[in-house]
Amino acid sequence: MDKKYCAYICAGCGIGDALDLEALSGVVSGEMSMECKTHEYLCGAEGRAFIEKDIADGVNTVVIGACSPRVMTSEFNFGDDKITVRANLREHVVWTEVKPGEGEEPNAEAAEFLAESAADYMRMACTRAKKTLLPEPYQLEVLNKKILVMGGGLAGLTAAKEAAAAGYEVLLVEKEDKLGGKALGWRKSFPTGAPWTDLEENPIHALIAEVEGDARISVETGKEVARISGAPGQFNVTLKSAGTRTEWDAPSRVTVDEREKIEKGEMEDPNAGFVDYTKINPDGVMVGSVVLATGWKPADVSQYEHLGYGSVKNVVTNAEFERLAKEGKVPANVAFVQSPGGKEDDKDFPYCNSVTSMVALKQAQYVTEDNADGKAYILYQHMRTPGSMELFYKNAQNRDGIFLTKGSVMKVEEAGGGLKVAVEDTLLGEDIDLNVDMVVLAAGMEPTTLHQNTINLAYRQGPAFNDLGLFDGYADSHFICFPYETRRTGVYAAGGVRKAETMEEAVDDATGAALKAIQCIESVDRGVSVHPRSGDATYPDFFMQRCTQCKRCTEECPFGALDDDEKGTPLPNPTRCRRCGTCMGACPERIIGFKDYNIDLIGSMIKAVEVPEDDDDRLRIVIFVCENDAYPAIDMAGMRRNGINHMVRFIPVRCLGSVNMAWIRDAMSAGMDGAMLLGCSYGDDYQCHFVKGSEIASKRMENIGDTLSTLGLESERVVAEQVAITDYDKIPQIINDFVDEIVEMGPNPFKGF
Amino acid sequence: MIVQPDLEFIKSLKEAGGDTLKKCYQCATCSVMCPLSKEGKPFPRKEMIWAQWGMKDQLLNDPDVFLCHQCGDCTANCPRGAKPGDVLSAIRSYAYTFYGWPKPLAKLASSAKGLPMMIGIPVVIIFIMWLLAGATHIPSKEQFANIGYTNFFGHWEFKWYAKNIFFIVLIMVPSLGLGLFSAFMGVKKMWSTMAKQAGVTNSFRPSAVQFTKEFLWPSLVEIIKHNRFNECGTHLDRVRGHLPLMLSFIGLFIVTLWSLLKQDVLGLIWPSLHGPLPLMDPFKLLANVSAIALLFGIVVLWNNRKKAEAELDTQATFYDWFLIWEITAVGVTGLGAELLRWGGMPTLGYIIYFLHLVSVMMLFLYLPYTKLAHLVYRTTAYAFEKYRESQFVKAE
Repeated sequence: MDKKYCAYICAGCGIGDALDLEALSGVVSGEMSMECKTHEYLCGAEGRAFIEKDIADGVNTVVIGACSPRVMTSEFNFGDDKITVRANLREHVVWTEVKPGEGEEPNAEAAEFLAESAADYMRMACTRAKKTLLPEPYQLEVLNKKILVMGGGLAGLTAAKEAAAAGYEVLLVEKEDKLGGKALGWRKSFPTGAPWTDLEENPIHALIAEVEGDARISVETGKEVARISGAPGQFNVTLKSAGTRTEWDAPSRVTVDEREKIEKGEMEDPNAGFVDYTKINPDGVMVGSVVLATGWKPADVSQYEHLGYGSVKNVVTNAEFERLAKEGKVPANVAFVQSPGGKEDDKDFPYCNSVTSMVALKQAQYVTEDNADGKAYILYQHMRTPGSMELFYKNAQNRDGIFLTKGSVMKVEEAGGGLKVAVEDTLLGEDIDLNVDMVVLAAGMEPTTLHQNTINLAYRQGPAFNDLGLFDGYADSHFICFPYETRRTGVYAAGGVRKAETMEEAVDDATGAALKAIQCIESVDRGVSVHPRSGDATYPDFFMQRCTQCKRCTEECPFGALDDDEKGTPLPNPTRCRRCGTCMGACPERIIGFKDYNIDLIGSMIKAVEVPEDDDDRLRIVIFVCENDAYPAIDMAGMRRNGINHMVRFIPVRCLGSVNMAWIRDAMSAGMDGAMLLGCSYGDDYQCHFVKGSEIASKRMENIGDTLSTLGLESERVVAEQVAITDYDKIPQIINDFVDEIVEMGPNPFKGF
Repeated sequence: MIVQPDLEFIKSLKEAGGDTLKKCYQCATCSVMCPLSKEGKPFPRKEMIWAQWGMKDQLLNDPDVFLCHQCGDCTANCPRGAKPGDVLSAIRSYAYTFYGWPKPLAKLASSAKGLPMMIGIPVVIIFIMWLLAGATHIPSKEQFANIGYTNFFGHWEFKWYAKNIFFIVLIMVPSLGLGLFSAFMGVKKMWSTMAKQAGVTNSFRPSAVQFTKEFLWPSLVEIIKHNRFNECGTHLDRVRGHLPLMLSFIGLFIVTLWSLLKQDVLGLIWPSLHGPLPLMDPFKLLANVSAIALLFGIVVLWNNRKKAEAELDTQATFYDWFLIWEITAVGVTGLGAELLRWGGMPTLGYIIYFLHLVSVMMLFLYLPYTKLAHLVYRTTAYAFEKYRESQFVKAE
C-alpha cells in the first residue's frame, strides 16, 4: 500500500504542560519529514474526529504521540487497513520524569532532558511507521474442523460431548476396550452443587451413554494414536491397535549431533523402520486440533518404608480403597495418611494437589456409612478443600465417627492382628497411637505425560512435549496463566493429565479445553494466532535463499513449530506458530521477520535515537522491554510517578526470545552506552508467556558478553533482568542502578566512530 | 497414648448442648479470648479436639472444664459456630452424671425423661409422711395468722418438740445428708482421677487445716467475690443474676441454720420459740431480703438464658433449665406461702407450702447431679488448681 503519514501529539494528561509541543512537532516534521499536528485531547470524540478527518482525506498510517499503547486501544483503532503506531510520551516520558528530592534543586537541564526523550520516542515511532507493513493472514488451502480427543475417561468424554454440542465432529480414541477410564472404579463422586455437602452418584455411566448416542462423535476403543503429524487445521492422525508397534509410530527425537553420528555410521538410527516424520499418512484421519485427556496413573508409594505399603498387610492406596468401597468391603477402623514425610517435612504425597484431601473426606464417610460404629481417622499436614468444597469438608467433619488431626505419621506396623499407627505433633497435644484395621495412603496422580510420550507427535523436536522435567511432567505451558495450552499449539490438555483434580474439576477442565480446541480451529480459519497473541495476523517470513541450515530456529522454537528437510532447511508450519519471534531472535543470518516486527525495523528504531557526543549527562541506554509483563510494569511505574533516569530509551519486544543480538550490536555501534533486556523470570518459577523466551535470551546474552569483550567493550554494558508484572515498584530502581553503573564505566569509547 | 474414641460420649455431649462440637477446626480463637487459657495450655482448643475425638477420660480429669464460667467469649468469637462454651457446659453436665453416686439417681437426674420421677419421689415421700402424721388440719383464718404452716403435719402433744418440725427434719435432713454425701463421693472420685492425671502422688499431704486454709478458703473467697465471673465478656450480665442468687442462698442457709437451732434445739427448752418469726426479727428480715434477691436473680438468669437461645442460638437443654425451674419453684412457692399467710388464705397456702417442701427436697436430693453440682465441683476444681500449683505437688 502507498502510505500516507500523519503524526499527532496529544497535549492531555500533563504532556502539554511538560513538553514544548511546537518544538516536538518540529522534530517530526523536520527530521522525520512527516506532517505533525497537536491536539488538546486526542482520545476524546473531538480528537478522534480530528484524526478521522485526515484519514478521510487519505491518511492511512497514523503516529500517535500520547499515552501507552496498552490504554485507549479502541479510541486509537482506525481499522485493520490502517497502520497505527503509538509513541508512549505519557507513561515513559512525562510520568516517569525523575523529580528532585526534598530540598534538592531541580536539574537545570531537566526540561531539555525531557524534550530529548520525547523527541527520541517520536523518532522511533515515525521510523516504525515507515518500516511496518500491513499483515496478510496465513490461510490454509484445506481446513479440517474435526477435533481429536485422546482418552475416553471422564475428561475425554466431556470434551467430546461439549465439542459435539458446539457443532464440531469429534474422533474419540480410547486405549481400553470400553469407555469410562478410571472413573468406572469410583463408588461416589463429590457434590457438584449447593449445599455442597452430600456425595453424589458417579456421573460416568450417564456420560458414556450420552457420548455413544451422539452422531457427531465417532468412538474408537482399543486404539491409540501412533502419530500425529502436520499442524493445527491439518493434523494427520494415524491410529493403531493399543499396545502394538507400527511403522507409523512417532519417531524419536534425533539431535543435530546424533544425526551427524548416524550419518557417519557411528550410531544406530533409532527411527529405522519408521516412516519419516514429515510424511503424511494417506490413510490417516485429518483433524483440526487435539484435546489431550489421557489421564493419570496412581503414584507408587512403596518408597515410604515407614508407612509399610507393600510390606505390611492392609496398607492400601486411596485408589485401591475406593475399589474396595465399591465392592462393599469397608473395615470399621481406618486411618487415612495424607502426608508421608513424618517429621522430615510436611509435604503431601507428590502429585496430589487438593484431590487427596477431598478423597480422604469422601472415603472416611464410607467408613461411617458402612459400619454403625465406624471410625475414620484423617491424619493430615494440610487439608485442602478449595472453593465450595469447604462446605463438603465441614459436613464430613461434623460426623461423629470422623476424626481429624494435623500430625506427623511416624510409623505403620502390624499389632495384635490389626495395625498400629504412630502419630506425633498432633493437635491433641500428645503423641498418639491408633489401632486400626486398615491404613489408606493418599497416593498422588501422576500425569501420563510423566512416563510416556503420550501425544506422539511427528515433530522435528520429538514425539513428546518438551521440557517436561521443568514442569514435573505436566504438558501445560503455564498452569496459572494459560491452563489449557500445552507447549504444542493446537493440543489442549484436560483432566488428570493436566493437573491432579477431582471429577468435578475434570468436567470443567474438559469443557474449557474443548472450547480452546474450537478457538484454535477458528483462529486458523481466520489466519490469526492463538493465545497469547490471539488475533495477531502476522507470521514469520523466511528468506530461505540465505539460510545456512544452522538449525537454531528449529531447535529453539518453544512450540516446535519448525520441522526441517534432510538438509536442515526449516519447514515452517505457520499454524503451529505463536508469533513470539524466538526464531527471529535466534537467526544469525537475520532472514526471519514479521511484517510489523523484524530485524530491520527494530534496528532502524535504535538508529533513530539521537546519541549526543561527549556529554556525560546524555548517555544513551536502550532497554528491550518484553510487552507481556515488563512493559505494563513500567507503565504502572509511570502511573505512580516513579522516576526513571532520562538517559534510557524503551523499545517494546514481543518476547525477549525475539531479541536478535544484531540489535545489541546496532545499539553499541550507534554509540549507545549500554543495553538491557527486561523480561520475565525463567526456570522453576517461570513466567515467560512463550515458556522459554527469557531463558533463551539470557543464554544468548552470555555469548554477546564475549563478543563485546573482544571489541574492547565491558561485557557489563549489556545485561538481562528478570521482572514480574508486580515489580513496578522495583523496576525504576533496577534501571536507575544500571544507569549508575554505566555512568561509572563512562561513555562508550566508540561513540562518534 | 493409645486413643480410642468413645462414640457414645460424643453422642451424649451433642444431646447435652454440645451439638456443635464437631464444627471446631482448631484455629484457637477461643484460647486467645479465654481468660483461663495459659501458655502451653491452650484452653479450650485442646478440650474441643478431645471432645471431637470422644476422649472422655481426658476431659473428665481436666479441672479447667470445671473452672470455666461459661462467660461466652469463646462462643461469641468462634468463626465456625462451634460454641466451645456450650460444649464445655455439656461436658460438665456429663461429668456430674459420671461422678454422681449412687449411679441410678445420677442417671435419673440427667435428662428430662427422669423429670416425672424426680418430682414423684419427693411428692410421694412427703405425701406418705403427711398421711403418717395424720394429715393436715387446715387452720382457720384466725389461727393461720398465728401458727402459719406449723400444722402441716398436724400438731404434737409434746410441746417441747413440735410434730411438724419433727417431720420436716425427718424429710429434709436425710435428703440434704444424702445429697451432701453423694456430692462428697463424686468430688472424691473426681479429685483422685484428677490427681492421677496430673501425676500427683501422696508423699506430701496437707493436713485438713492446711488444706482448708491454703486451698479451700481462698477458693471460697474468690468464688463469693465473683472474681473470675467478672472477667466475663459476652455473658457478663449473668453476674447480675448469679451474685444476688448466690448471696440469697447463703442468706437462706443462715436463716435455715438458725431456724434449725431455734426450733430443734432451743425449742425443746422454750416451746414458745416454735411458730413463724415476727416480721421484724433480724432473721426474718434476712430471709425476706434473700427471697426477693433470689427471685430477682433467677429472673435475670432466666432472661439471659432466653436471650442466649434467641441471639446466640444456644441449645435449650434440660441441664440448664432444670436448675432455673427448680430455683424459681423454691422461690415462688416459698414467698407465695408467706404472702398467702399474710393474706389469710389457709387452704391455698397449705397447697403451696406442700409444693415448697417438694421443691426444697428436690434441691437437696439432686444437688450432686444437676447443674447445682457446680457448687461442689467447681469449688473442688478451684481448690485442686491451687493445690496442683502449690509446693505440695511441685516439690516432687
